[in-house]
Amino acid sequence: MARIASRPLRPLREIIFPAPLIPAATAPFLDKRRGEIYFHTVANVAEPLVAPDQEKETRTKDELEPGYLVVCWNDPVNLMQYVTHVFQKVFGWERQKAERHMMQVHEQGKSVLARESLEKAEFYVHQLQKYTLHATMERDA
Amino acid sequence: MKRISADDKAVVFQLSAREREAFVRILQTYPVVPPAHQPVSKELNNPRVAEYQRLLDDALAEQRAANQRHLHAWLAAPERFQKIKAGYRFTLERVDSEWLLQVLNDIRVGHWLRLGSLEVGELKPQDLDPKLLPIWLAMEMSGYFQMSILEALEG
Repeated sequence: MARIASRPLRPLREIIFPAPLIPAATAPFLDKRRGEIYFHTVANVAEPLVAPDQEKETRTKDELEPGYLVVCWNDPVNLMQYVTHVFQKVFGWERQKAERHMMQVHEQGKSVLARESLEKAEFYVHQLQKYTLHATMERDA
Repeated sequence: MKRISADDKAVVFQLSAREREAFVRILQTYPVVPPAHQPVSKELNNPRVAEYQRLLDDALAEQRAANQRHLHAWLAAPERFQKIKAGYRFTLERVDSEWLLQVLNDIRVGHWLRLGSLEVGELKPQDLDPKLLPIWLAMEMSGYFQMSILEALEG
């Protein structure tokens, strides 16, 4: 089965504008902590300037390396067949593999579903939470 | 709720009048899970996680709002429920099946949270406060519709 392709969770961060060039009315989202401005569409008020240093800073080694675990936790409400179905849809697994992980969740309280970079782990957690499964991402010790 | 036909594009069910009424009324309770309910990680004091938590909460809130809009239009579509002799014919396009399963599970989990997140086996209707019975019933019925749809899709 196909993976779900859309990634609505993260803001667009490819284009970074230096703050002084942007009129306040056209700056929809300013992350003050990072000093980046995010646009959902490309504004036509100024030529975009790519700031490689800032871009580099935002995509750290931590984000790119597969150091995060996607974990699904047991709860008494999600139906077993539903959980199996969701694993198949989100990860594109065969039924047998999905059932094995579902049983691990059921019997052992949790199952590690994937080991991924921070970005991919976040994507999978979002997909699983869309289905109201109890899923988190944890740093791999 | 009984599957009567299926092809590549849609699954068609037969519902009794009471099933249809329950199905529509349950769907109209969406969304039930409270906003910002789900933690993105158990590492709560990691600042990076806090940022992801905010992004996740925003994304899930947007999705819930979009689902709610779609649900209203979907329920109102004239071809959704067609009156037949033995009740209603309900058509579920396959393209809507994942979205509908997500909506039904939000309703199930949300009502379970309202009942105090107990073990489902401990939730016996005869032991519940009568005021909580509609909540228990909504949880059970959403699970029933969810399973009927899953079985029809996979069968």
